[in-house]
Amino acid sequence: MNNVLEVKGLEVVYSTNRGDVQAVRGIDLDVHRGEILGIAGESGSGKSTLAVALLRLLKAPGKVTGGSVMFHPAGRSPVDLLKVHGEELRVLRWSALSYLPQGSMSSLNPVMRVEEQFKDVILEHAPARRDSLGELIPRLLGQVGLEPRVGRMYPHELSGGMKQRVLMAIAVALEPDLVIADEPTTALDVTIQRVILQSLADLRTDFGVTLMVISHDMGVHAQLADRVAVMYEGRLVEVGDVRQVFKDPQDPYTRQLIESIPRLGRKAS
Amino acid sequence: MKSELELRGVQQRFHARGVADGYVTAVDDVSFKLLASPPQIVSLVGQSGSGKSTIARNVLGLQKPTAGSVLYGGKDIFKLSRSEYDAYRRDVQPVFQDPYAIFNPFYRVDRVLWKAVKKFKLASTREAGLKLIEESLQAVRLEPENVLGRYPHQLSGGQRQRIMLARVHMLRPSFIIADEPVSMLDAQVRKHFLDILLDFQREHGMTTLFITHDLSTVYYLGGEVMVITKGQIVERGPVATVMHEPTHPYTKLLLDSIPSPDPDQRWTTRIQVDELERLDDNTPADTTKPEAPVL
Repeated sequence: MNNVLEVKGLEVVYSTNRGDVQAVRGIDLDVHRGEILGIAGESGSGKSTLAVALLRLLKAPGKVTGGSVMFHPAGRSPVDLLKVHGEELRVLRWSALSYLPQGSMSSLNPVMRVEEQFKDVILEHAPARRDSLGELIPRLLGQVGLEPRVGRMYPHELSGGMKQRVLMAIAVALEPDLVIADEPTTALDVTIQRVILQSLADLRTDFGVTLMVISHDMGVHAQLADRVAVMYEGRLVEVGDVRQVFKDPQDPYTRQLIESIPRLGRKAS
Repeated sequence: MKSELELRGVQQRFHARGVADGYVTAVDDVSFKLLASPPQIVSLVGQSGSGKSTIARNVLGLQKPTAGSVLYGGKDIFKLSRSEYDAYRRDVQPVFQDPYAIFNPFYRVDRVLWKAVKKFKLASTREAGLKLIEESLQAVRLEPENVLGRYPHQLSGGQRQRIMLARVHMLRPSFIIADEPVSMLDAQVRKHFLDILLDFQREHGMTTLFITHDLSTVYYLGGEVMVITKGQIVERGPVATVMHEPTHPYTKLLLDSIPSPDPDQRWTTRIQVDELERLDDNTPADTTKPEAPVL
C-alpha cells in the first residue's frame, strides 16, 4: 500500500494546573496517497489536536508524548514529522505538507493584496518559480473558481467563501503531497459550502493531492471522503470506506453519530 | 392594533463604490407583517449579503429605510411621539449575533439586567428587582448564583446569550427580533437557546422574527419562514411546506446545497460559481459565523 502518512501510537496531552488532559490517545492511522480521508467526531474529540500535532503546529500547553508520524513525500526520503526540526521542517512546509486552517477570516494578511500573499509563500519555498508567477497565480485562482482580478484585491474586499478559496489556492500552490484541511466549510453558507466541497474534490482530481479533511459535519464526509476515520474522546473508534462507515457502522459510537444526523424532513430532537 | 409590526415596501440603499449607479440595494421592496397574537415564530433565511440583517435594523428602528415604512400598531416608527416610541422600544426587543460584543467588559453582567429594571420601572424595591432578575435567569435555565456578580469574560458565549434572553424575559415584549442569535454557539447550546425561544412563544406569547442563514435551525423552530435573496423575499409559507415543496429556484438551490449524509446520494450536478459570485459581491465584509449547526 502506498501511504503518504503513517501515524503510529500518537499521544497528545494538554497540561493544565489540574493535571494533564489527554486529547489524543494512541492513534494509529494510515493515509493513502491520492485519497480524501475524512476525520469525523464531535467538538472536543481531538480532531483539531490531531491535525496540529501532525503539522507540528501544536502549541504549549499541548505536547506530543508518544508515537511516530512517518511522512513519505514524493521524490524525497521519508521522515518522522515528530522528529524533524528547524530548516528541515521549514522545507517540508507548503512544498510537501500544507494546511488549510479553520476560520479563513483571520488567516490572510489584511494589508497585503491577495497576489502578494501568493508570492510570499511561493518565493519563500520555491524561489525558482519567480519567473512563472505572472502565469501561476491566475491559474491557481482559476482552479478554485476565482477570477484573476481577485489577485489585485485585499482580503476585506472578499467574502468568506472567496477567502476560503484563496487559502485553498495558496495551500496547493506548490503541489504538496498532503493537505490537511481543518473544518474547511464550517463558517460558510450552504451554497458556498457546496462550492468549497466541489473545489476540494477538484484539487484531488487535478493535482492528485492527498487530502485529510477534518469536519464535524457528517454530510461533508458523505459527499467528499473516500474513507472516514471517526474520533471519540481522543481515540479512533472506526476507520473505513465511506460507504461502509455510513451504511454499516461497526462501532456503537459511529452508529450513534450517524443516527443523530439531522435531516430536513425529520425533526431533530 | 399595537400588537402588529409591519414592513410596507421597505427599500434600503447604501452608497457603494465600484457599482454601476453608486448604490447597492440591500433591501428591495420588502413587505411582511408580524402579529403578536397568536404568537408566532417567523424565520427569515438567506445567505450573507442577502439583506436580512438590514431588515432587522430597519425593524428595530436603527436604520431608517430609504423608501417604504415600518409600522408599529399602524404607525410609522420614525414618526412616533416620545411616549409611543418608548412603548415601542420596550415592546420590540433585540437579540443580536455576538454575545461578546453586547456587554461592557468593565461592568458585571448584572448591570444589563438592573438597567432594564430601572429604565422600565419593573420593580419598586431592590428586593423586588432582584427577585425578578432571579426569576428571569431561571426561566432561561441559568442559576442566578452562577452568573450574578460575574464579569462577561467569566461566562461562556451561551451563558452570555442567555442573559440577553433573561433580559427579554423580564420585559415581556410582544416581539423579539433575533438576528443570527445562535450562529456563534455550538450545537448543544444552540438547541438550548432555541428551546427557550419556543418556551417564550408558548408560555409568554412572544412573537419572534428569527433571522438566520441556517436551514436546520429554521426547521427546528418550525412556524413560518421567509426566504430572502438579493434583498427580496422570494418565498414564504409554513416551514414544512417551503422545505418539502419549494417553489422558487433559489429555495431549491439552498435546500439542495445541504450536504446529504449519504455517500450514495452525492451531488451529481455542479453549482455555478458565478451565480454565487453575484451574491458575494454584496458582501465585501463578511461576518464571522463559526460552527455550522448539528442540531
